[in-house]
Amino acid sequence: MIDEITAVWITYHLTERTIEHLWIFSIALIAAIAAGVAIGLFIYRRRRYASPVFSTLNAVETFPDIALLVLLIPLAGIGTVPTIIACVLYSILPIARNTYTGLISVSPELLEVGRAMGLSERFILLKIRFPLAFPMIAGGIRIAIVFTMGIVTLGGIFGAGGLGAPLQTGINLIRPDIIFVAGIWVGILAVILDGIAGGIEASLKRRFGSWRAISC
Amino acid sequence: MRKRFGETVAVDGISLDIRGGELLILIGGSGSGKTTTLRMINRLIDPDEGSIAINGIDTQTIDGIVLRKNIGYVIQQIGLFPHMTIRENIGLLPTIEGWSREEIESRVAALLTLVHLPPDQFMDRYPKELSGGQQQRVGLARALVMNPPLLLMDEPFGALDPLLRRQLQDEFIGIKEDIGKTIVFVTHDINEAFRLGDRIAIMHEGRIVQIGTPRDLILNPADAMVSDLVGSDRLFEHIASLTVSDMMVPASSIISGDLPVQSAIEVMIQSRSTVAVVRERAASFSVLLLSTLLQRRDEVKTVLEATDPPFFLSMDVSLLSALEEMKAASVSLGLVMDDGEPAGLLLPDDLISRLV
Repeated sequence: MIDEITAVWITYHLTERTIEHLWIFSIALIAAIAAGVAIGLFIYRRRRYASPVFSTLNAVETFPDIALLVLLIPLAGIGTVPTIIACVLYSILPIARNTYTGLISVSPELLEVGRAMGLSERFILLKIRFPLAFPMIAGGIRIAIVFTMGIVTLGGIFGAGGLGAPLQTGINLIRPDIIFVAGIWVGILAVILDGIAGGIEASLKRRFGSWRAISC
Repeated sequence: MRKRFGETVAVDGISLDIRGGELLILIGGSGSGKTTTLRMINRLIDPDEGSIAINGIDTQTIDGIVLRKNIGYVIQQIGLFPHMTIRENIGLLPTIEGWSREEIESRVAALLTLVHLPPDQFMDRYPKELSGGQQQRVGLARALVMNPPLLLMDEPFGALDPLLRRQLQDEFIGIKEDIGKTIVFVTHDINEAFRLGDRIAIMHEGRIVQIGTPRDLILNPADAMVSDLVGSDRLFEHIASLTVSDMMVPASSIISGDLPVQSAIEVMIQSRSTVAVVRERAASFSVLLLSTLLQRRDEVKTVLEATDPPFFLSMDVSLLSALEEMKAASVSLGLVMDDGEPAGLLLPDDLISRLV
């Protein structure tokens, strides 16, 4: 059993594939966080855009991921780039939505005290609203991690590399052992990453308080 | 000042003169405009009409941020920033103002000591690790950090249980003496108002119904609402804040010592008084009871022979201590003197009927 797994692992370069997979995953996630937080902040500053922006992102979200990858072929071809684009498109919604919700959910008495102390709106945004929104933003990122893991794997079928590639090979060669090893491994990776994100989220909640019940 | 929110007039043409160093209470039911008035002072909201001046300077001419940095603010919900330690919460404004670490450290420690929290135990804790009472003390310390000359407090003890509220009020009275600041304090609790306030402004439907010292309000309520709120018809509740002069009967007529007995009886019956003050000599007085005079009308020739020695009281002595003195001396009436002249009489019988 162990020997068979090791054989598959070595033959199909699963170590390199894992590094490749995590590399694509990291780029996609960082881009999604940057875009998501920026969009969340933008909507917070311009509330009237909240409804159209979220409607658009919701529409993107309802697209099946495989359809989205196919639709991206004429625009970005196949491979790593369209996979990253798809990951970002899917992950913006949870991150932007949670950023926006976190920023506007800070309890009114904290904002009142902040203003009454003579803090500027900018200071209140950066030093009070944002830190208190961290746990909420982390929750959005955690959802994005799960999305991204799935789409990066799917992207392997469209030539993006990563752990989707050996899965594709296994399907083509009708080799259950390859599918089994690569499939289980990508699943374990996803659970580990989600666990880490969950831990970070929980520690942010401890540090900054649950965004729901502030003060008391 | 006047302030509308949509159709609702929250504050309807009030005018208020706050004196330096006093603690002014704004009291009223919900919707009376007390909190709106408070927020207009530090321009969290701006009045629609009218202006507010501090030391003669119109607050509209001062930058809002600068103004608010110089006015302490404490609210019922406290509003400590949950992601900052107690040190960071109190030291927030000094940090922004660029104080050194040592300066902030010593200022925070001094303030925590002032509000009866040991600095070494509390500095590095987070707000949620503190009880409600401790949090409110930190809230007060934070409001005092820049040593603002003016402090605004919006029902700061409103969320605490009655026992703790009373304890914090007691502590606050002590702190108030120490810091000597002008304080505007909003409450809906009349007992709190009486305990803490130098003056009390009673608000109703956006107007100030009456403003005055606790004694003014109790003894001269402007209308039935004020009388009902302060309990003017239950004076016994305020006995501790009353003085002899509040409850004395004015000395309407002073009888000369050499007046014939019959004339004295006529004078007293005409003025419907049972007790009279008798001038024996230039600055020597005694008291005369109508009952004694009637009993001994045949034995005595002049009023002087029927008088009793007076028990002297001063105008501004507290009523309770005066009554204690009278009890100790076993006398049933006191002659209240003001500047060497008789001002009135303190009659316990009459007192009881006026207290209840």
